[in-house]
Amino acid sequence: MAIGGKKKSGLRIIIVGLGKVGATLAEQLSLEDHDVTVIDRNAPKVQAVADRFDVMGMVGNGASYSMLVDAGIDKTDLLIAVTESDELNLLCCTLAKQVAGCSAIARVRTPDYSREADYLSERLGLAMILNPDQLSAHEIARILYLPSALEINAFAHHQAESVRFRVPEGNLLDGMEISRLGREIEHNILVCGVERGDDVTIPNGGFRIQKGDIVSIVGSRTESMRFLRNIGLETQQVANTLIIGGGRSAYYLASRLLTHKVAVTIVERSRARCEELSDLLPDAVIINGDGTDAELLKEVGIERAESFVPLTGIDEENVLLTLHARKVSKAKLVTKINRMAFRDVIDGLDLGSVVYPRYLTSEAIIAYVRALGNAAQSSRVISMFHMFSNRAEALEMRVEEPSEVTNVPLKELHIKPEVLIGCINRGGRIIIPGGDDSLQVGDTVVIVTRHKGFDNLRDMLER
Amino acid sequence: MNRRMIVYLLGRVLFIEGALMLLPTLCALIYRERCGLWFVAVGALCCLIGLAVSRREPADPVFYLKEGCIVTALSWLLISIFGALPFVLSGAIPSFTDALFETVSGFTTTGASILPAVEPLPRCMLFWRSFTHWVGGMGVLVFLLAIMPIHGGGSHFNLMRAESPGPSVGKLVPKVLSTARILYYIYIVLTAINVALLFIGGMPLFDALTTAFGTAGTGGFGIKNDSLASYGIHLQWITGIFMMLFGINFNAYFLVLYDSPKKAFKMEEVRAYLAVILVSTVLITLNILPQVSDVFPALTQAFFQVSSIITTTGFSTVDFNAWPSFSKAILVVLVFCGACAGSTGGGIKVSRLLLLAKASLNEFRAYLHPRSVRTIKLDGRAVERETLHSVYVFCAVYFFVFCGSTLLVLLEGVDLVTGFTAVAATINNIGPGLNAVGPAANYGQLTILTKYVLIFDMLAGRLELFPLLLLLHPSLLKELLRPGASASGKGGESYAGR
Repeated sequence: MAIGGKKKSGLRIIIVGLGKVGATLAEQLSLEDHDVTVIDRNAPKVQAVADRFDVMGMVGNGASYSMLVDAGIDKTDLLIAVTESDELNLLCCTLAKQVAGCSAIARVRTPDYSREADYLSERLGLAMILNPDQLSAHEIARILYLPSALEINAFAHHQAESVRFRVPEGNLLDGMEISRLGREIEHNILVCGVERGDDVTIPNGGFRIQKGDIVSIVGSRTESMRFLRNIGLETQQVANTLIIGGGRSAYYLASRLLTHKVAVTIVERSRARCEELSDLLPDAVIINGDGTDAELLKEVGIERAESFVPLTGIDEENVLLTLHARKVSKAKLVTKINRMAFRDVIDGLDLGSVVYPRYLTSEAIIAYVRALGNAAQSSRVISMFHMFSNRAEALEMRVEEPSEVTNVPLKELHIKPEVLIGCINRGGRIIIPGGDDSLQVGDTVVIVTRHKGFDNLRDMLER
Repeated sequence: MNRRMIVYLLGRVLFIEGALMLLPTLCALIYRERCGLWFVAVGALCCLIGLAVSRREPADPVFYLKEGCIVTALSWLLISIFGALPFVLSGAIPSFTDALFETVSGFTTTGASILPAVEPLPRCMLFWRSFTHWVGGMGVLVFLLAIMPIHGGGSHFNLMRAESPGPSVGKLVPKVLSTARILYYIYIVLTAINVALLFIGGMPLFDALTTAFGTAGTGGFGIKNDSLASYGIHLQWITGIFMMLFGINFNAYFLVLYDSPKKAFKMEEVRAYLAVILVSTVLITLNILPQVSDVFPALTQAFFQVSSIITTTGFSTVDFNAWPSFSKAILVVLVFCGACAGSTGGGIKVSRLLLLAKASLNEFRAYLHPRSVRTIKLDGRAVERETLHSVYVFCAVYFFVFCGSTLLVLLEGVDLVTGFTAVAATINNIGPGLNAVGPAANYGQLTILTKYVLIFDMLAGRLELFPLLLLLHPSLLKELLRPGASASGKGGESYAGR
């Protein structure tokens, strides 16, 4: 465990299916000290995961009753089904729910089911239905609405956001100390982290921002937009988007962008899929052709595109397409990376915005697990994001009951180093807290921290 | 290779050994023995060296099976060398070779002794001798895992895999830490019950503790010259039964405690193990009946010896060297059979033999129906091809090591039965052999070369051959000893020195 790891009895969790998301979850949940059992049909895969992480591996069909009993379903708190097949996932979860009454999370990717996700999860009694393709499409769409951002995470039902952006050369922020920010630029946001090279700082007032730094701010949506506008960054959403590859994420992304009046062009190789897409997305331009062909890209107008999103199933292709687009156009680039290996290489390529569906899924699940882990506590995790390439966490928590952190001015709390209270949502109003503010029951609070494994607001106190 | 992690773990192991030396020190305090000071000195030395090399956890704690095997093999060498120091320094066993032999024999739960008489030894030395059995029985690295959370994902499971006996080592529960704790919990509780029963049965507390340590680790060091012969019949039965219990796969106890006892009794290995004990006991009882002349004493002797040999403990109540050849032959067969996988016993292990037997049967069937396909099952589950393969290879390597060691030992001029059984008794971690190394004799008269061969056999047997043999692999040695950027200065010396 990283700094601040402490003894807590973990939950018993079963993960069915060891694809990319399954393996990531096995890693993260075992690191958070839960008792994790993984089930997959593929023995070498199970072996590999059980060797790498502190989990128990079982080989078999996770949707079979006897297998689940063998894995100890009756003592399990949570089952997460992330196999290839949506139907299998739903069956696993239903079985777990019926047999043991434990919480269950299913990954469902097919749009047919996805549209019915709410109905399904309610009728089947599932805790959550996750759709990584949809999650990544939403994330990409958020970036395209605010193209100067590298990454945007939404808190408090999208009322507050953390925005990560690079300080360009000659910008107002270049060479400015954080304490002078207030005098120079009218703002109501908080700088919660600065990345310079390989270092991440949760800065104090004396910190001086330089050009090339990647700055993360939190604040309400309108305030952070205003701040970015004030320092001279583009805040207009893109007018058009070129998407390469017509898979599920492309569909989700396009349908979202179209509702925001962004013109969408999709290049897809398969004729049949093109016809399907044109049926589903009548307002989009669907082009049948090889998206990795430079001539074709030129023809469909990559040079004039305001944004370019390669969504082929192959990471290498996506990266190359992004690099190509950076050469030939000024488009805002968003790259989707499915496999996480070689992240250091990808970070070094400076691709701009990179979206990892695997991370998005596991973040959502981990937030749920942390909330489940302390159901009877005075505060509860609502959502969680990894920031700065997984070196810090942003947690949104709701204050449920009075405790030693409530009703005390923040300056009087003994807060651990490397913990920052980003913003407070009090009845829909976003407050950037000062030392005299205090937390109230009913607030939701965003904290940014380099400690890992917080599941309660009290965790941020020095003890 | 993650050398920093190897050094770090070795440091931790050494620290634990230093801490464990507090117990014989305590014993020396109670009996007012001055030689207890050596335990304080050596213990402090271990702790200091251990702390010095493992002050900080390496930044990269991930390691693989290779490192796991190296750490295991080096740990056992290290604890044996340091564990022998009190014997040498105090003069209880003046020769270093002899002291090392005795300590290795202790940690590997062999119980082969070079001492002609143990009774003159100070109490604290006797205690340490027996206590090494208890530590070695479940394994010092498993102990390390139980008390210290090691980071690095699942890599520390490689330590357990390298140290624990059996063809396929699995976890009981998802976390290594919890698995190790459960194992030690079962181990401690069983030992405590054993001590209590012996104590209630009339054994003095010191004797009860040391005997229970020897039983629990399936070691076999006694504190009397005649092993257990001078204790009452009921104490012999208690010890006999507990030896048998400690030879059962600990998974069975886990099932009894945390799942259903029914499942435990359905484990094929446990059934086979109990069946072998039953049949052997009956056969030997019938065979020695003319010598002993009464049924109950014959049964007592037979059961005790069968239980002692199959679990590879090596306690004795009679000089079975004087038994009829048939009975001796049964014991020799049991020597190779060994206890269950996942127990504290040594030998080839019942589960391996069970798999071999099933594979042989399959081969017969293949002659009858050449195209038949039949998977081998254990406990109702198909056994993976890799597991079977590792069983075959284990048996082959076992055979080679055995033959090689026997040849080396015979070179020194002992008779065939002595040489053969000496190797068999050490590689299977039993203790007494036959003839010149029989239960009434000892290993003290053997030459130095023979003793080192047998020390190697004991370690190889306890660690199930591969971790130790891996250490002798030239390319691995080169990698380990090559002065490189990743090695910390201190650590480099600590193993280059050997």
